[in-house]
Amino acid sequence: MAERSQPSANYRNWPVLTALTIVSLPLLLMYVYLFLDTVTVKQPDALLPSGLTLNHWRFLWQTTAGKANIWQVTVNTLLFSACTTSLVLIVSSMAGYVLSRLNVPARGFFLAGVMVLHAFPSVTLIIAIFIVLQMIGLYNSLIGVILVKAAIDLPLGIWLMKGFYDTVPWEIEMAGVVDGASRFRVWRSLVLPQVKPGIMALGLFSFLSGWGEFILPQVLAPGNQVQVLSVYLAGFLADDNNYDFNMFKAVGLFYLMPVLIAYALFNKYLMNIYGGGSKG
Amino acid sequence: MKSSRKLGLVMIAPAAIMIILFFLLPVVLTAVFSMTNMTTATGISGGVYQIAPNSLITLKSTMPDIAAELAEPRYAIDEAGLKAVEGLGLAPGIAAELRAKHAGEVFPTRREAERMIKDLAERPSTRDVKQISEQFNRSVVNTRFDSKEELFSALDTLGLKLTPEQKETVAQATYTGWTWTTDNFSRIASSPDMARVLLNTALYVALVLTLFNVGYALLLAIWTHYMPPTPASIFRGIWLLPRITPVVIYVMLWKWLAWDTGFISVLMGKFGYPPKNYLLDTAYHAWFFVVLINGFIGASMGMLVFSSAMKAIPKSQFYASEVDGASRWQQIRYIILPQMRWPILFVTCYQTLSLLASFNEILLATNGGPGNATEVWALSAYHTALRNYAGNLEYGLGAAMALVLVVIGVTLSLLYLRVFNYGTLVAKPLIED
Repeated sequence: MAERSQPSANYRNWPVLTALTIVSLPLLLMYVYLFLDTVTVKQPDALLPSGLTLNHWRFLWQTTAGKANIWQVTVNTLLFSACTTSLVLIVSSMAGYVLSRLNVPARGFFLAGVMVLHAFPSVTLIIAIFIVLQMIGLYNSLIGVILVKAAIDLPLGIWLMKGFYDTVPWEIEMAGVVDGASRFRVWRSLVLPQVKPGIMALGLFSFLSGWGEFILPQVLAPGNQVQVLSVYLAGFLADDNNYDFNMFKAVGLFYLMPVLIAYALFNKYLMNIYGGGSKG
Repeated sequence: MKSSRKLGLVMIAPAAIMIILFFLLPVVLTAVFSMTNMTTATGISGGVYQIAPNSLITLKSTMPDIAAELAEPRYAIDEAGLKAVEGLGLAPGIAAELRAKHAGEVFPTRREAERMIKDLAERPSTRDVKQISEQFNRSVVNTRFDSKEELFSALDTLGLKLTPEQKETVAQATYTGWTWTTDNFSRIASSPDMARVLLNTALYVALVLTLFNVGYALLLAIWTHYMPPTPASIFRGIWLLPRITPVVIYVMLWKWLAWDTGFISVLMGKFGYPPKNYLLDTAYHAWFFVVLINGFIGASMGMLVFSSAMKAIPKSQFYASEVDGASRWQQIRYIILPQMRWPILFVTCYQTLSLLASFNEILLATNGGPGNATEVWALSAYHTALRNYAGNLEYGLGAAMALVLVVIGVTLSLLYLRVFNYGTLVAKPLIED
């Protein structure tokens, strides 16, 4: 980022800075108040808080009647995104290598298919899988949602890993093969370390996308035992009886925190994906 | 050569299996379900045959006589009825005589049955006759039959003589399960509601795409391009927040901003305006927020793609133009934009598909409201199949709607593959041993 063309003297920065600040204001407001409102008291018609409190965080130590326990829900969310991530990582790092390096039948077809699959609307999958799960009576289990979510993330994962493998110089593999290692061994001990940034990026992306996933768990696993944070939060918002926006925001911040931390630590890896930089 | 191929197949197998099972199979099943009239009313596993009042109404229009006959109770002297008569505690001769002389007979009306009972050797009293005849009352209305055969044999024993074609019609009218049909597609093609939803979708994609995913993203990229590194990365960070924030929280924040107890209401209250729900009070407001909510998420991807493309433009071009006295606008117009052609095309293609398929944000923000003002295609499919106000979930119709999206998506992405010269993407693998 440092080597950007520096603005010369006849260009002034402040008009652009002002304009950008103004258009960014809604976002800034939302995120600043998200934090503020969870730890302060505010009169209903006031814009600024009038005192500090930890009352909005009470959901952490007491369970609202009729709602799932927050820690149970958090564990479910963690389990859901961790399982999805490992599945996506393992499967797509293998498939990506095959598509990048090995000559398998129907390789071109597979690659095009992966591209096209990426464009499939998830609502198709949800409707069909919902009906199938109802038919075979496997509704409301976390495993089903994990598999479906992983399958949805796979096309992007495979495509991305293929791009990363493509940048690895093939001399590395040549050396391994000449020294008598099997292709599998070469992949595992020589090539895989080379694509660490890709694995980091995909892992992080997959984790964040699993952590934030709403519609799949909402439809396929809405029960209290298998509920994840997004469904829990949406249920909170829909519940008119215990309506409390500040507590709702506290749950939201609790849910957002891991995302922000992960993003702060690893954002340079993540850019590879969000930038659509899977061209290799 | 051999081992490489085998290893390749082994390593790609998990991906292939998962994609086939949880990706392709559901799509194929969607196509199958779209050819049925499956709803919560028909159930999803097969149905039964039931001569219910509403199936009689359907029959009445095609076969009025048979419908009337079916609706009437019949009097069949069968074993179950005879047992019941024995249990009534009347003179034992009655049951014995009925069994001996009349077993298997069917009387179309109560009067005929009672005349026969009166003529029995025991001469039952009028009260007893009523009691006895009641035991043989066999109405098929509201009886469930597990199969066609059971239905037909029941009709036969009740003396309803039907031709095979008539039987088929009756079976069709009384079947409670789902059947194969292409009605879903004709409904989609002819319904004005669907046309409205289609229009909404086109408007939604066009607005978000041009205003935010491409237009505003380009603006952001150019703005941050000319900025010193620190503020540039701060602003990029801010504009990436919507993308990494889980959708439920993100929409919650917008609701906090726009609801009647929200920030805008409170702020406007300071100027004397009564609080109102700015998100849902009019269709225009709802549209405004739907476009903003989705646009703020979409802007980030375009921003990143465009920024990295701009970084790739040789800096000497900027320096040269500055020496020539080019203004910033001229730089944008003659240096940046011409070299942004491919990134813009890529983002446009990619985001069209994402927007067509995405409905989470609208579902959470307006749920298609107010009225049906912001109902887009994917959301409508979801509502039809899985979350319906009327309570009757139309799986078949919803699947058909989803299938329409699949067809559009596949067509568009095949088109894009051509545009982006697919051949270069599938160049031969590097190593062959």
